[in-house]
Amino acid sequence: MKLWRWFKRLFQGFHVRNIQVLISLSSITVTVLAVVLVTTLLYNRFSKAAEENAYLSLEQIIEQVHSNLELYVSGMQDIFDLVELKISVAPNLPTNDQLGEQLQTVLSTREDLVSMALFTEDGKLVRNVPRLPMRQNTRLQEQLWFESAVQNPGKLQFTPPHIQNLFKWQYRWVVSMSKTVNYRDQGELKQGVLVIDINFRTIDELSGRISLGKKGYVYIIDAVGNIVYHPQQQLIYAGLKYENLEPVLNYSYGRFADELEGEPRIITIQTVKPAGWKIVGVAYADEFLTTKREVGDFLSWFLPLAIAIILFVSIYVSARISQPIRKLERSVQMVERGDFGTNVYVSGAYEVEQLSKRFNLMLRRIRELMDQIIQEQEAKRKSELDVLQSQINPHFLYNTLNSVTRLAELGRNEEVVTTITSLSRFFRISLSKGKHIISVQDELEHVRHYLIIQTIRFKNKFRYEIRADEAALKCSTLKLILQPLVENAIHHGIEKSAEEGFIDIEARLEGDNLIFRILDNGIGMTSDTVEKLLSGNIRSERGSGVGVRNVQERITLYYGPGYGLHFESEPEEGTTVTITIPAVQPDSLEQGGMQP
Amino acid sequence: MKRKPKCIYRAGVLLMAGALVTMLTSCGGPGSGADHQQFYDVDMIVKMDRGDYWKTTKLGAEVAAKEFNVRLNFVAPENENDVEGQIRLMEEAIERRPDAIILAASDYEALGQVTDRTSYYDIPVISMDSEVASTKVKTFVGANNYEAGQKAAERLVELTGPVSEIGIINFAKGARNANQREEGFLDYVARFPDVHVVDIQYCGSDEYLAYKLTADMLKRFPDLDGIVSLSAESSIGAGRAVNELGYGGKVKMIAFDNPPEMLELLQEEKVQAMVVQNPFNNGYMAVVAAVQSARGEKLEDRIPTDTKLIDLNNMLWPENQKLLFPFVK
Repeated sequence: MKLWRWFKRLFQGFHVRNIQVLISLSSITVTVLAVVLVTTLLYNRFSKAAEENAYLSLEQIIEQVHSNLELYVSGMQDIFDLVELKISVAPNLPTNDQLGEQLQTVLSTREDLVSMALFTEDGKLVRNVPRLPMRQNTRLQEQLWFESAVQNPGKLQFTPPHIQNLFKWQYRWVVSMSKTVNYRDQGELKQGVLVIDINFRTIDELSGRISLGKKGYVYIIDAVGNIVYHPQQQLIYAGLKYENLEPVLNYSYGRFADELEGEPRIITIQTVKPAGWKIVGVAYADEFLTTKREVGDFLSWFLPLAIAIILFVSIYVSARISQPIRKLERSVQMVERGDFGTNVYVSGAYEVEQLSKRFNLMLRRIRELMDQIIQEQEAKRKSELDVLQSQINPHFLYNTLNSVTRLAELGRNEEVVTTITSLSRFFRISLSKGKHIISVQDELEHVRHYLIIQTIRFKNKFRYEIRADEAALKCSTLKLILQPLVENAIHHGIEKSAEEGFIDIEARLEGDNLIFRILDNGIGMTSDTVEKLLSGNIRSERGSGVGVRNVQERITLYYGPGYGLHFESEPEEGTTVTITIPAVQPDSLEQGGMQP
Repeated sequence: MKRKPKCIYRAGVLLMAGALVTMLTSCGGPGSGADHQQFYDVDMIVKMDRGDYWKTTKLGAEVAAKEFNVRLNFVAPENENDVEGQIRLMEEAIERRPDAIILAASDYEALGQVTDRTSYYDIPVISMDSEVASTKVKTFVGANNYEAGQKAAERLVELTGPVSEIGIINFAKGARNANQREEGFLDYVARFPDVHVVDIQYCGSDEYLAYKLTADMLKRFPDLDGIVSLSAESSIGAGRAVNELGYGGKVKMIAFDNPPEMLELLQEEKVQAMVVQNPFNNGYMAVVAAVQSARGEKLEDRIPTDTKLIDLNNMLWPENQKLLFPFVK
């Protein structure tokens, strides 16, 4: 179960166009083809050579048996000729002692010789060496050696091995050589049958020693197909085995392929000339032609092994290649999700390393560009704010000029001059050559001129007081932050109040901070109104156009989120606005001003 | 996503393991791969390690062993009567845990127990030549002794005629083979109301006792027409008695098995026929059966090997020569 899931997961990962799969498949295909091709070529060459070798060695073995046997048989033939010669020249055969001795000597030279005997043509014993009594019921004339000698007069006959059934001795396996011969009996020329029996043991041992593989063997048959020697002779007689003799009888030498009980066999034949025997070597093809199977066996394990190794190597190599690419892909994915802080350090192939390096460079460049964009955006906003800052509400100018006109009509020249002067001063500080950072002194001056104009406009409806520390005056501040608040105090506080108004403006240092406090005794505000004020939802039509919210925004933008306005207000009591900004000395201001 | 690389390494490891396994199994291949390459260890326990009969059995077994890749371990006690010795050999064979055991039991009953024990170790046992009292035996390879007895009876009655007296010299009471032969013989003879089995003597495996018993029987039953001896030893003893006491040819005799002495008598017409088993085939067929049972094949209950009635006419037929004279000396 677990294994199955594991397999599924394994194959889910195998996309066909996966680098790993591509590399593995292609290298396996190439290797398998190469291995198969090479082994097929080698296989064919080897098996052909091995087959030839096998046939050659088979023939050599059979040839060895053949020459041994032929030597042996012709040796026996020589002995037969010798004996025949001696018999033919002996003057009186049945009672020739000299001949008896000679034959005895011949017999003892070869221990394979069992007996020699001469019979008359009607089967009566003439003479035998050694002199042993005959058995009863031998049926001599029916015996093969006698029959074939009589049928083929003058020709030497060889019988297949048989039990000698002539003399009272052991029953022995012999091969009989027989021939019709002439002999002299008391001067009379007679014809008889000479038989020399050879012990079969030598031939039996000679043939039995030969092995052609584990199952292969050699057998010998005579010219008509009687078995001379066969290791499974008894099984054949019992019908348990079968030897296909028919094709063998058609050959006198050579080789052919045969099949017995479904097993392919290689039959090699040689003929022993004197006896007319055929030596037949039977080799089993599966034993002798082993190369085919061996190469097949070799292939059957070499091929899977080679494939396994190649698969392993290719999976390893392709993993080495594709792994860093995957890592890279994951990093790119993280970047895609917005994490530009990701740094990719992928080790691996040179190309991939280069790719990751380039990717890092690209990432850094993107980060830089993004920073730049942010800065530019901020700068843009600042400039927009600056524009806003410098916008002067035409209502204010209109109202002021209106009051000036009225004053001039009334002939209050002194007040006209004061107003115009203050207005001029007011605008000058407002513009401040385009700077947005001015000294606290200028800022206070700016608000003072505003208050002057407003007191004239509102016909001294309120009083005001501006106080400042000596140290505070030297500090820098964002311009136009007090004026909107004072305007606010007048319009929403004092103007609506029946009492005489009073505005107190104070600037002082408190630790590292510069504090402005604008206090009025107007109608005050509910906390609700304070909220709205800061969110910019209340906007005075007649104001200078720079709202309270704007002040707050600018302060936060320039000095950071920790700074800004603080309102304390009670309805019917008045309002106190506290502005907190960092105390900045003028020289450091220029650099610091750019930082967000 | 994150799992994939791990998977691939695992796959690699798996493949490598697979490769190793293939390599190891295929390296072991040539030794144990194909069926015909496999060796079978077969123990063959016979009654005696002497005599042409058992040597021929061994010869047949060896031919089969070569043919079927068998490592044959041929063992036997010194003597045919050594039942204890054969039980001990059987125990030793069980210790060796061969692929199969072939047993020619000296005693039908006595070897039953030890034969039963082979089934504990899953060693198939083939009974050869003589049966053993055990149901664990896979098959019996050997002559049909009952039929052999009948064959002997048939020939003897032919020789002696439907009115005759017959004596039996047997091996021993309780010997399974001899009993079956005797049974077969008697059952056949029973068809002829005027053929009388006048005497049955048991000589054990003692040739001299057989000689004496036969001589005694010939004396006691002067009108005896035929003698049948149902084992090799009794045949030798009885044959000698019949020959030496001058009854050769007068008292018809059927012998069992083919000791060389008997062949001489057969040729001299002192013995009329001989029932001959085929020990070579016994050995061969027993090993074949052992291999088959080691492979787990089902065998017939009995695998009969043929018996032949040999007489002067057919004794030197080529196919009988090898049967009667298995060895080239």
